[in-house]
Amino acid sequence: MTVLLDSDESTSPVVEQPRTLGPASPTSDKVFHGVTLAIGITVLVIMGAIGVFLGLQSIPTFQRYGWGFFTESQWQPEKDILGISAVLLGTFTIALVALAIAFPLALSTAIFISEFAPTRIRSFLVSMVDLMAAVPSIIWGLWGFFLIQPKAIHIAHWLHTHLGFIPIFQVDTDPDAAIWAQSRYAASAFVAGIAVAMMVLPMAAAVMRQIFSQAPAGEREAALALGSTRWGMVRTVVLPFGRGGIIGGTMLSLGRALGETIAVVLIISPAFDIKFRPLEVGSESVSALIAGRFGEATSNQLKALLTAGFVLFVITLIINTLAAMIVSRSRSGALTD
Amino acid sequence: MTATIDTSFNQSQGHTSGGTLEARQVSAWFGSNKVLEQVSLTMPANTVTALIGPSGCGKSTFLRILNRMHELIGSAQLNGEVLLDGQDIYASGHRITETRKRIGMVFQKPNPFPAMSIADNVTAGLKLTGTKVSRSEREALIERSLSRAGLWKEVKDRLREPGAALSGGQQQRLCIARSLAVEPEVLLMDEPCSALDPTSTRRVEETIHEIREQVTIVIVTHNMQQAARVSQQCAFFLAELGTPGGIVESGATEQIFNDPRDPRTADYVNGRFG
Repeated sequence: MTVLLDSDESTSPVVEQPRTLGPASPTSDKVFHGVTLAIGITVLVIMGAIGVFLGLQSIPTFQRYGWGFFTESQWQPEKDILGISAVLLGTFTIALVALAIAFPLALSTAIFISEFAPTRIRSFLVSMVDLMAAVPSIIWGLWGFFLIQPKAIHIAHWLHTHLGFIPIFQVDTDPDAAIWAQSRYAASAFVAGIAVAMMVLPMAAAVMRQIFSQAPAGEREAALALGSTRWGMVRTVVLPFGRGGIIGGTMLSLGRALGETIAVVLIISPAFDIKFRPLEVGSESVSALIAGRFGEATSNQLKALLTAGFVLFVITLIINTLAAMIVSRSRSGALTD
Repeated sequence: MTATIDTSFNQSQGHTSGGTLEARQVSAWFGSNKVLEQVSLTMPANTVTALIGPSGCGKSTFLRILNRMHELIGSAQLNGEVLLDGQDIYASGHRITETRKRIGMVFQKPNPFPAMSIADNVTAGLKLTGTKVSRSEREALIERSLSRAGLWKEVKDRLREPGAALSGGQQQRLCIARSLAVEPEVLLMDEPCSALDPTSTRRVEETIHEIREQVTIVIVTHNMQQAARVSQQCAFFLAELGTPGGIVESGATEQIFNDPRDPRTADYVNGRFG
C-alpha cells in the first residue's frame, strides 16, 4: 500500500474499498425461505393459540377451586366437587401400563428389523409396523374390549394370585375363591393399557429403528471383525449409539399414551379413587373424562373440563419437549437433525 | 503384582504365533457383477504380505474375503477356498466368530468404540467373544497390547479417557491394540494409514515391523513406498476395463519392485499409471 502511494504520487491516492457483491441468494430462494418460515411460524402460532385458549378458559376454574382442583379426587358437578387428582393418577397408570408393554415389544421389534431380519422381508416388516399406526383408535378399543379383555382377566387373576404381595398387583377381592370374581379384574387400567400399548408401539418402534439403522458401519464392522456375534455387536455398538433414540421414542410414546381417549372410554369403567392398582376394575383418564362428560356439561362444568384438558396439554408438552431435548443431545440424535 | 504380570505376559506370548493363510481360486461377485476371478495366493506365517494395485481392482474385496467380512454385504457371493493352517474357514463346521477372532482386521478409517474408555476399547474383543480374564491378567493384557501397538507410553496415564479423545493416528494404533488383544494369528489391514499424517504413518509402520514376529500380516496399500518398506511379499492386483480383478504377479517384494516379470507390474510400481 505504502509502496503504491509513494510511486504514484502524481495521481490521486488509491483508496481501497470493499467491492459490492451481488445478492447472496436469488429472489426465488428468498421467496422459498419466506414461505417456509411463514408456515413454520404458523405451526407455532396454532400451538400457542391452543395453549392460550385453554389457559384463559381455565382461569375461572382455578379461581373457584384453587389448589383443591389438583388435590380433590372426585368429579361430582352436581355437588360442586371437582378435582383431577384421581383422574391424573389414572391417566399415568394407563400410560405406564401401556409403556411397560410397548417398550420391550418396540425395542425388540426395532432391533429385529434393523439388525436381524433378512433384507427381503425388512421393508415388508417396516410397512406392517407402520400399518399398525394406521389402525383407528376405535378399532384398537374394540379389539381390547372384545378380544383382549376376556384373556387379560385371566392374566390379571394369575398376577394377583402369584404376585399379589406386591402392592401394584393387588386387587380388592379374594383370588383363591372357588368362583373368583371375574368382574373385579375387568375394565381396568391394565386392559386399557394393553390397547393403548398397541397404539404407541408403532411410533416407538419407528423412532428406534431409524436411529439403530444409523449406527456407524465402521463400528459395526469393528465389533464383528473382533469375533463378536451379531447380538454382541448390537449390544456394544447399536444400543449405546441408539440410547437417545430409545429414550426419546419412549417418551414420545408416553406423550401419546397420556392423551389416548377413545380406547380408554370404551374399555374403562369410570372410578375416581386414589389408588395405584392397575389390575383392579375401574379407573379414569383425563381425556376419557372429557369425552365422557362433554355432552351433558353446563357452561361451568365445561370450563372445568377444559381446565383438565389444559393440565394434560401442559404435561404432554413438557414430556415431548424433554424427549426432543434428549434425542437431539445424544450422539444418535445429532445425526437425525 | 509385577510377578503376576510377568507370568501372564510370558504365558500369553507363548501361544502367540502367526498362521499361514492360503487363498485357493477365490472368485467373488456383487450381485451379477464379478469383481474377482480365480485368485490364489499364499500368505506365509510371520511375513507381511502387501496387496497393491489401482482402485477398483478387488484387493479390498479379497482382503475382506480372508476373514469372512465380505458376506456382510447383502448381494456378495464367492467361490473358492481360504485355508488357515490348512483348514477351510468357509467349511460348514467352522464358526464364523471363531474365524474372525483368529483373523483380525484393521480398517481404513480408525473406528474405536467412542463410548468406551481406552482400556475398555483394548479389551472389547475379550468381552465380545466371551473370554473371561482375571483383573491382573486384564491389566497386563492392556499394557502388552498397547505396547505392541506402540501406544502405551502415550496413553498409560489416561486409560480411563474415552477412545474418541485420541488423535487419528493414536486411534488407529488403539484399533491395532484392540485387534492384537484377542491374540489373532493373522492381522488384515485395509489401507490402515490412508487417513493418517506422515508421522502417524511411520509409527504404524514401526508397529507392523514389531508385531510381524507373532502375527501374519496382510496389508492393502495404495502407497508404493509403504509396500516396499513394510512387506516381504507383494501381490499386484489389476482389473482391466470390464473384466474382474485378479493377481497379475506376486512374489518377494524386492523382486516385484526391482525386477518385475510382467510389464504391467513394472508400469504400476514405477508410477506410470494407477
